[in-house]
Amino acid sequence: MGNQTFYYQYEPSLLDSLEAQDIAAPYNCRGGYCGCCKVRLLQGEVQYIDEGMVDLKEDEILTCICVPKTHVELELPDE
Amino acid sequence: MSYTTFNAKNFDSTKEPMFFGENVNVARYDRQKYPIFEKLIEKQLSFFWRPEEVDLSADRKDFIDMPEHEKHIFLSNLKYQTLLDSVQGRSPNVAFLPIVSIPELETWLETWAFSETVHSRSYTHIIRNIVTDPSVIFDEIVTNPEIVKRAESVTKLYDELINLISVQNVHGYGVHHINGNKYDCTLWNMKCKVYLTMVSVNVLEAIRFYVSFACSFAFAERAIMEGNAKIIKLIARDEALHLTGTQNILNLLASGADGAEFKEVAKACEKEAIALFAEAAEQEKEWAVYLFREGSMIGLNAQILSQYVEYITNVRLKAVGFDEIFPSRQNPLPWMNAWLSSDNVQVAPQESEISSYLVGQIDNTLEEGDFDDFDF
Repeated sequence: MGNQTFYYQYEPSLLDSLEAQDIAAPYNCRGGYCGCCKVRLLQGEVQYIDEGMVDLKEDEILTCICVPKTHVELELPDE
Repeated sequence: MSYTTFNAKNFDSTKEPMFFGENVNVARYDRQKYPIFEKLIEKQLSFFWRPEEVDLSADRKDFIDMPEHEKHIFLSNLKYQTLLDSVQGRSPNVAFLPIVSIPELETWLETWAFSETVHSRSYTHIIRNIVTDPSVIFDEIVTNPEIVKRAESVTKLYDELINLISVQNVHGYGVHHINGNKYDCTLWNMKCKVYLTMVSVNVLEAIRFYVSFACSFAFAERAIMEGNAKIIKLIARDEALHLTGTQNILNLLASGADGAEFKEVAKACEKEAIALFAEAAEQEKEWAVYLFREGSMIGLNAQILSQYVEYITNVRLKAVGFDEIFPSRQNPLPWMNAWLSSDNVQVAPQESEISSYLVGQIDNTLEEGDFDDFDF
């Protein structure tokens, strides 16, 4: 997909922010429990707005329940 | 040792493994070995719903107007869903409760199975509303060879585990020969069976159910059977939680966090576990052919549904740390996402039915400055 830049404009979640800028990001439940929106956080920090229930590796985040805290770089799956 | 409903021993349950440790005594949730199960219970309770909340009067008319081949698709799918939830409403309790050793997991199993019984009740609600005699549909579930075939594969591992636990409960650990049958009740074999049964449950909830959801939502995409889809949306929301539960259990077991032997078990059973995913995917593809044998419907046919089976199988395999077994592809049914998203986000109660009754949403923390802009 190559590199894409997006700007967080106080959307309710990182996922909403990606969608608002037409960046295809995976999702299902939008509630932090199905795990579909799991992506790798390559750089930066996020703040969770809800509690996730998915088994995550250290560098993985759930975009549906967090917002960026700093400048972030994400690795989205290929689709 | 045989099962006891209230273990008289004094022990710290946070030091127990998930399975095959002490039988649980006090159902306490103030301290937990794995807080994830407590979170799942809370979430599942907040999701409580009743099928009768959904009005199905328009669905009856939609159903009557459907061509015969679409009736076949709709009813076969509904029968399959009824079968799956009949199994899931009881089996986690019967299979896992006798061997569970931590209270939060024990209660999660019960909460999980209870919600499946709500799903079963909703199939009765749907069937009652669309046909005059529900028995015609329910009776077919045990006589239709295609459905019976599916029942065998979803219950096989559950039944084998339940049998081993029953024998072990009476005769203890070891290999036993009873009435000409061999029962390998060694702890190792029973652990293998628990791991594989949990994989098979994950396959049921994370693949088989999703294939059936795709069919339900495909009707609603054409603005028919929308009451049915509304119910299936509620069921799908619960299932997402359940499959997260089984994925968490599988990952905990495989990581060694719950004992080194289970890590070995997971490794030893890996091939068999992946084969369960592959077998289910093949069965679901065969099922897709059966569903659409009399004709396709707008937006869905056997080929697209089979592509979805491959896509979803890959997603589920990755979630439990296995490699994909099908070529990577994009989601062939992108419209599914909208149906699978829980609508508790960004919906004001007056705009739509709010789908989760959240509790404890009052913020009790007060800062000194919070009343600064108040005129008393």
